[in-house]
Amino acid sequence: MAAMTEPVRATGSGAGGPGNRGGSGGLLRNTWLQALIAVAVLVAGYWVTRALGNPAWAGSFPTGVGDSFMAWLDGVYAWVVANRNDSPLFLYFFNYISVGLGSAVVLINYFLDFLTWAGVTVLGVFAAWRIAGWRVALLVLATFGVFALTGLWNESMTTLSLIITAVFMALLFGIPLGILAGRSDRFYRGLRPVLDFMQIMPAFAYLLPFVLLFGIGNPASAVVTAVYALPPVVRITALGIREVNKGAVEATTSLGSTPWQILTKVQLPLAKRTILLGVNQTIMLAVSMVVIASVIGAGGLGDAIYQALAKINVGQAFQAGLAIVMLAIAMDRVTGAVGHGAHTPRIPEHQRMPLLGGGLALVILVTAVGRLLDLGGWPRDLSIRIDTPINAVNDAVQAAIGPAAAAFGGWTQTTVLGPLNNLLTGSPWWLVVLVAAALGWIFSGWRVGLVSGGSFVAIGLLGVWSNAMDTLSQVLVATVVTIALGVVVGVLMSRSDVFAAILRPVLDFMQTLPPFVYLIPAVALLGLGPVPALAAAVIFALPPVIRLVNDGIRGVPAGTIEAAASQGSTKWQLLTKVELPMAVGSLRLAINQGIILVLSMVVMGALVGAGALGNDVVLGLAQNELGLGIASGLAIVFLGLFLDRVTQGRRAPRA
Amino acid sequence: MPSFLRKGTLLRLLSVGLALVMVSSCAVRTDQITRDPNSVRIAVNNWVGYEASAEVLAYILREEMEYEVQLVRVDEQPSWQALDQGVMDVILENWGHDDLFELYGPEGNGTAVDGGPNGNEGVIGWYVPAYLAEEYPEITTVEGLKENTDLFQTAQTGDSGEFLAGAPGFVSQDQGMINAFDLDLQMVYAGSEAAQITEVRRRAANEEPVLFYFYDPQWFQEEIDLVKVEFPEYYDGCDADPEFVDCDYPVYDLNKIFRAGFVEHDDHAYRFLDNWTWTNSDQNAVARMIADQDLSPPEAAEIWVNENRDIWEEWLPEGYEDRR
Repeated sequence: MAAMTEPVRATGSGAGGPGNRGGSGGLLRNTWLQALIAVAVLVAGYWVTRALGNPAWAGSFPTGVGDSFMAWLDGVYAWVVANRNDSPLFLYFFNYISVGLGSAVVLINYFLDFLTWAGVTVLGVFAAWRIAGWRVALLVLATFGVFALTGLWNESMTTLSLIITAVFMALLFGIPLGILAGRSDRFYRGLRPVLDFMQIMPAFAYLLPFVLLFGIGNPASAVVTAVYALPPVVRITALGIREVNKGAVEATTSLGSTPWQILTKVQLPLAKRTILLGVNQTIMLAVSMVVIASVIGAGGLGDAIYQALAKINVGQAFQAGLAIVMLAIAMDRVTGAVGHGAHTPRIPEHQRMPLLGGGLALVILVTAVGRLLDLGGWPRDLSIRIDTPINAVNDAVQAAIGPAAAAFGGWTQTTVLGPLNNLLTGSPWWLVVLVAAALGWIFSGWRVGLVSGGSFVAIGLLGVWSNAMDTLSQVLVATVVTIALGVVVGVLMSRSDVFAAILRPVLDFMQTLPPFVYLIPAVALLGLGPVPALAAAVIFALPPVIRLVNDGIRGVPAGTIEAAASQGSTKWQLLTKVELPMAVGSLRLAINQGIILVLSMVVMGALVGAGALGNDVVLGLAQNELGLGIASGLAIVFLGLFLDRVTQGRRAPRA
Repeated sequence: MPSFLRKGTLLRLLSVGLALVMVSSCAVRTDQITRDPNSVRIAVNNWVGYEASAEVLAYILREEMEYEVQLVRVDEQPSWQALDQGVMDVILENWGHDDLFELYGPEGNGTAVDGGPNGNEGVIGWYVPAYLAEEYPEITTVEGLKENTDLFQTAQTGDSGEFLAGAPGFVSQDQGMINAFDLDLQMVYAGSEAAQITEVRRRAANEEPVLFYFYDPQWFQEEIDLVKVEFPEYYDGCDADPEFVDCDYPVYDLNKIFRAGFVEHDDHAYRFLDNWTWTNSDQNAVARMIADQDLSPPEAAEIWVNENRDIWEEWLPEGYEDRR
């Protein structure tokens, strides 16, 4: 279930860089040494500035431009509020969409309610069995069991309705866009930055504008979820279309097929498996938006988590979190099975229709009985509460390692985060811009250098320089920890099949459990501030990194390893000289995912006191300050752009 | 009638269908979308006291007056937008959001109406735990606090003391007070009330110092003894400049905010909510059952309603029985 949102890494001619001169260069040509010098310049600049007593010319980026940008956005907001009941733009466009979406979610929810819990369960299990075989059907049954026994049946159905609507919408736009992108390189090149933007821009930052445009509750929630979940299906569909055997396309063309025929008869059928992988990823992302959407009234399971947290009842939040995890895993396995076409029960052609009819009849029968017995949602009285034991475990953990954890939190703050933050916020802004540009140039060539410097200037122009530097220091630490841990665990995972088998469900769980559930325990352990936020970010970003490293190393051809081993390489040499270098593509992707996911936790981190940009994004939503929220969100996007481009190296064609 | 085609479901499907037809035929104003006249939609903001009010009112509306009630959990700011968009009928507990009232009230686009006080009194202020106030009695005054800000130093704030701010949505003038009283304090944003309470709890367990934004009525006040720091009393206009506020927070008479259309419609549900007022101790009684005794909110509401018939019967509008 790796959130492989960026699998497209066509090899291409990258921009050449200064360090790309083979092994013949002198000491100064060494990339890492150059980077070290750049950082040393920054540190020296910081100390000089301090020694001079922080003169005005060596401070933060002036905020003038940013302030007027924010004021302009606030003006737009005020205009919309004043005009949304009269402007034709709303009367004839946005309001239609919101009524349509709102009704769609509500209708699906009514339908699920109408089926009663018995009907939904029979329908779900039967469909899962027919599509994906009995193992997945059992998993689906277990999922419905969790919904029922946690007493969250109705909430789960609300959430399911929202996810169905949002995913449908994302696919409606995403698949055609993906097909276009697969057929036209130019279109794809134009689209990619937009997709990057959609994924890095924190959802909290665009909640407010979407509520303005589409209305609170289901409509805005569905749009926000769809926007967030759209990129992978576009990317992966494009990849699928591209990978279709060129020969097959040429053969069909030579037979005189029209482009439409090629698409529908050749490309789409052949790319079906890949496209379904994209659909699968889209569903996963939609599930992960459930909690955020409940801030604007989406209700359902996310709401249950919020409700529990208002009372600081970690056990109750975990219960709802577990329902979300089960939902995500079940949906992943079902759609995954459609993609592979594996495990489907083998049923002879002539029995398929009767079987389908029988299944439908069974669903209708169960529903009718359910309605006669007035079953509705699963009765809350028949639920099992696991919150008390979970709370007990939570308290015990806290008592056992609380003091040590708090000391560790304080230590991290004083020795790592604090100094790094001081360095970045206390140095002259132009020096930081120059060093960023230099790092981009050193690692990935002059184009990336320009992009890096430009990103930092843009952050300054947005008027959020100090907060952005604060956030950058936190993100750097979290990313380094994530990638270091990810590589170590990933290597271990690739070494042992048993360990891998044990780890996989744990990773599934880490990836789909909403961070809200573990944020509060993290505060209880580590103390409020950036440290618990970093811990949560690491937990969240780690699974895909581990998976990608594991996949990369396992993908190294056995012959290569044997050859190296036969020449007497030690295990360590094998790893560092053969396996890791050969898995470099996967490692790059792992780094990219680590960065994107850590950045996506910046706003969550602010909910437990990480402050900085994340806090301003939340503040923008909560205090009606559209300008502040958007500007801070954009700054996070630029930080992402910088980190991603610098770490992707000069072989990355996207720079 | 077979029970699987019950009236409620059918009616709802019809009303949603009707809305769709309306949409496809003409311009659509979200504040005019047909809604089930039998249903009251109450915004629930994310603190337990508010939830207590909402659950009690929902319970009476449902059980006594036979309305359908939707409790929509949503942040403060979006709930005003929801009134504006016609998808919510009432906000029960407004903490002085003048900026929003300007935007949506009669002076703004006219979609929200001030429903008057709900009887709860809101006190926002700076608090320290009682154990700390006992050890350093002087810190509950401005002067004493000023001399002891170093008590609150943390790894994060370094030489300055730490002031633990509340959730981002809350009304706040803390930076202005820090400036005006020249306190060597640095704001640390807790980011959410849950994180803030968790941190205060953690420090209270070791009797460590902490100075933070908090308010009353709030269930956590019952868990740990808190002492409010005394500042000069609020006077009109002292908070005009958010960068320089030389007074305490005002005492808020918490008020209700209605959707304008809901007021115009003037049915029993509106009159009931308009009649409703209760006290801080009423609210706390319910909130404590929810937060401390771990009852589900509807259970807590039921208990209070059964025990306080004399209080809530006065809220019922005349002739409400007729609508059954």
